[in-house]
Amino acid sequence: MEAPQYVAARVQQALAEDGRTNELGIRVDIRGDQLFLRGQVSEAEQRTRLGQVAHETAPELHVHNEINIVDATEPGEDEHLD
Amino acid sequence: MSILTDLRIAAVGDIHLGEDGRGHYRRRLEGIEERADVFMLAGDLTRHGTLQEGKVVADELRDLPIPAVAVLGNHDYHSDLQDEIAEELRDAGVIVLDDDGVVLQCGEKKLGVVGGKGFGGGFAGKCASEFGEREIKNFVAHTRHIAEAWKVALKEIVADERVVLSHYSPIKETLEGEPPEIYPFLGSYLLAEAVDTAGADLIFHGHAHKGSAKGMTPGGIRVRNVALPVLGRAYGVYCLECEDGF
Ligand SMILES: [Fe+2]
Ligand SMILES: [Fe+2]
Repeated sequence: MEAPQYVAARVQQALAEDGRTNELGIRVDIRGDQLFLRGQVSEAEQRTRLGQVAHETAPELHVHNEINIVDATEPGEDEHLD
Repeated sequence: MSILTDLRIAAVGDIHLGEDGRGHYRRRLEGIEERADVFMLAGDLTRHGTLQEGKVVADELRDLPIPAVAVLGNHDYHSDLQDEIAEELRDAGVIVLDDDGVVLQCGEKKLGVVGGKGFGGGFAGKCASEFGEREIKNFVAHTRHIAEAWKVALKEIVADERVVLSHYSPIKETLEGEPPEIYPFLGSYLLAEAVDTAGADLIFHGHAHKGSAKGMTPGGIRVRNVALPVLGRAYGVYCLECEDGF
């Protein structure tokens, strides 16, 4: 059986290199037959695609897509630099 | 007596617009002219650096009511179409910096902006050096070349305030939150060294999605990581306090 570290590295590589996602900052953790995706993206579609690519890369694992959506609508408070 | 006028800079990096982002991003910029004098984009404007995505970004930024200055990021280089993407942006009225500078008139003030993509290599004491294989030497030489160009551009520019706009980070403080093992791919101290030597008032960068917001170069220049996931909002607004003469 392939060591979980190598599977996680392969999934992370796929998320970065697959043309559908090209997402570099996603953390991939594997515990037994469970795969966890964590990180932040700006759109729900991208989160779905990341889950899909992870599933295709490691179809034997159960994918938990825990990626957060940062919905950046409000400009927020100004910072004064003096 | 002195009059204080703020120069207000809206900044964000890593907006990563895909083709499905068309029409969405522009809405977030509504009213930006009431909050800021200039808009700066710190690279990674697209997802895969395709021309189609470049056109989406250009359309979303077209003819903004305030000047927009951008640099590209590694994602915008992914399809080897960085020059074409830059042209699309320029056609839309965005100033795209490529290791050079521009001076903008903001009210009474001249704002100088210098920058480009930047590159990696790591941070003092834990960095790659120009030694060994050609590939490593090329990697480090690329960053050195960029840092040198910024230094020259900063020295040449005549402005009241000078801001550096980069994609990669010049310091490691704003990378905190990223795994330390990948720091050499997130930035280089050579960028900070160049800016410290030539002088500037503020540095913006993106790229480190999981990094932290605030830091400072060894020379005391403020650094802000404006990657969208770090900001958690459409853009940040930074006010540089300018002191007028007596
Ligand atoms: Fe990015
Ligand atoms: Fe990046």
